[in-house]
Amino acid sequence: MVESIALGDFIVTLYLIHFGFSLLAAELRNLKWSVAAIVVQSLTLSGILITFANIGSNPSLYWWGFATLGTKVFAIPYLLWLYIRRLPTAETRPWLGTIPSVGVMLVLVVVFYNFLHTHVEFIAPSLEAALEPARSNLALSLTICALGLWVLLVRRDAVKAVIGLVLLENGVHLALVTLAPTLPETTLIGIVTNVIITVWLLLYLAGRIFKVLGTTDTAMLSELKH
Amino acid sequence: MPVLIFAVPAGVAILIFAFGRLHAIFREGLALFGLAATFLISLAISGRVLHGELLIAWGRNLYVDGLSALMETLGSAMAIIIVLYSTRYLTQHQIGMPLNPWRHTYFYGLLVLFVATLNWTCATNSIIWMWVSLEATTLTSALLVTFYWKRESMEAGYKYLLLISVGVTLALLGCVLIYAAAIPLLPGPHVMLLTEIGRIAKRMPESVVLIACAMFVAGFGTKAGLIPFHAWLPDAHAEAPVPVSALLSGVVIKIGAYALARTVTIFAPHYAAVVLFVAILASVSMVIGIVMALVQDDLKRLLAYSSISQIAYVIEGLGLGTYLGIYGGLFHMVNHAIVKALLFLCAGALMYTTGTREISKLGVVAKKMPVTTFCFFVGALAIGGMPPFNCFMSKVTIFFALADRGILWAAIIGIATGILTVACFAWAAFRIFWQKPTAEPNPETEVKRVPVLMQASMLVLAFACILLGIYPRILYPVLNTATDSILRILGAG
Repeated sequence: MVESIALGDFIVTLYLIHFGFSLLAAELRNLKWSVAAIVVQSLTLSGILITFANIGSNPSLYWWGFATLGTKVFAIPYLLWLYIRRLPTAETRPWLGTIPSVGVMLVLVVVFYNFLHTHVEFIAPSLEAALEPARSNLALSLTICALGLWVLLVRRDAVKAVIGLVLLENGVHLALVTLAPTLPETTLIGIVTNVIITVWLLLYLAGRIFKVLGTTDTAMLSELKH
Repeated sequence: MPVLIFAVPAGVAILIFAFGRLHAIFREGLALFGLAATFLISLAISGRVLHGELLIAWGRNLYVDGLSALMETLGSAMAIIIVLYSTRYLTQHQIGMPLNPWRHTYFYGLLVLFVATLNWTCATNSIIWMWVSLEATTLTSALLVTFYWKRESMEAGYKYLLLISVGVTLALLGCVLIYAAAIPLLPGPHVMLLTEIGRIAKRMPESVVLIACAMFVAGFGTKAGLIPFHAWLPDAHAEAPVPVSALLSGVVIKIGAYALARTVTIFAPHYAAVVLFVAILASVSMVIGIVMALVQDDLKRLLAYSSISQIAYVIEGLGLGTYLGIYGGLFHMVNHAIVKALLFLCAGALMYTTGTREISKLGVVAKKMPVTTFCFFVGALAIGGMPPFNCFMSKVTIFFALADRGILWAAIIGIATGILTVACFAWAAFRIFWQKPTAEPNPETEVKRVPVLMQASMLVLAFACILLGIYPRILYPVLNTATDSILRILGAG
């Protein structure tokens, strides 16, 4: 019993670390550091899955945890690394400067999290999901989804756009394991909905565009509008 | 048979990738053979489904009903016409670079693989596998969009892949919410099955269903090209090779509509807010789409914006959740696939002959291209909803369904959009075929004759527009079975 409570607290801690590194991945202007933040963020996701497998009645989550380790901790950051090693370390200058961007993002994150946490019954499909700690964890997961969308909307760098997509997907996966940690089907969903091929293809196309344009600025991709 | 419908084209695609470089027969020949076999399988499936049979396999994870059979037959038939057209269109002259067997292998292999992923999407009964296969259709079609490897096509392909991936990830969140809401109500192995979810739709928490439906509309609506999720569509249609543009408008955006039919439609009758939300979104989409089309000088972009407007009719009908609405939506889905593919193939013939797709540089080509002129006019009148062409009946069915459901304002917007569509296409046709070019055409362009196979492909589609307009009852058994298959899931709820 005591061990189970300790593991429960450990999961909450992992969620918070995951959230913190999601913020760093979104805001760090150095692409290499941003990718490093994604590695730690994905590592905590893998840790959350393995801990759920350890405390619950669903050992199949080990498979998802190890698949996450292989794809999100190693493969996706490796693909990102292959791409950014040819580029300047700093990301393309975003629409907002560092301080306003961090400020706006923090305000949005706090407001969004508080709103979700207060009104979680609206989105929680079951009573268990509306109780702590699932309540806070679900609110955190959906805030990470919103963070991913925010990155996709305001950042101009092609690598940052891919990082936004990864954040969005990790947020959805975190919501999935928060809402349904006990069913083996959850593992199947988590593994088959991995976006690794999409990430590879996006980076490949971004690389080809970089060869032609000499930039990863997505705002430059506007020729077709004219 | 539910396995063969996607396993056969997938196997043929692998063969094309393996041997396509050796000879054209292993690319074009194999593609035609594979698609013809797929079409025959889809006909056999349709025959069995029309006799009231449900084809089920893999513990109900594969489930082919009337709607699946309709989509599979439509997709395979369109792909055959597109391959026939491509064999002549994708020449060295058109591509503007040396003929490369690998590029053609890549094109035909991906096209057949796309049909495999489409059929997989339509055959699966699992909400998650449907999401996975739908994402697979995005990956294969994104590579087809970038076929020319020019800067513009790269840009269009990148936007297409990024925007649709973001959209469908939102739809994944909707899938997760529905899956989690189904857990207390269904036994473990059934929680992902759409037929089972439909059965318990009424018992799920209303707020969760509404949020999930909003996610589905945003996600699958991005794939369908609904405004405001449409940003990828004009660029991808304009920069892809013409046969791929025909595939995008004829089939790819319909997959988004299909996914909406499989998800949102099963909840729509229980929640009036969903019907209203879809009707508002569709009305905005159809008006903005056609207004944007009116101001285009690029023929392919004009057709692309018109697709945004037309797919809105389909989604509006499906979103009603009534027999008449679903029937009209599905009917318009088939009709629009035929008409828009026809118009894109006509645009391709014009580009092949004149080397330009700018309307202001075209003009007075009616005498030189009588077949293309005839086909374009059939397509233009059909898409405007003029009798006796095919879209007339499907649009009228949707208007009646809207009025029947008490959403008269949406029917009026639909009619007004129809009038704008006729005006848009009549004006474009006049400028292309009779008016003198207002901009200087490229003097170096060599005017070529449109190959017979390209003309034949267009004539088949034009004939279908006329036939389905005069005898709409030909499709009645198929559409009725497809509509019943959705209503059966609703009725079970």
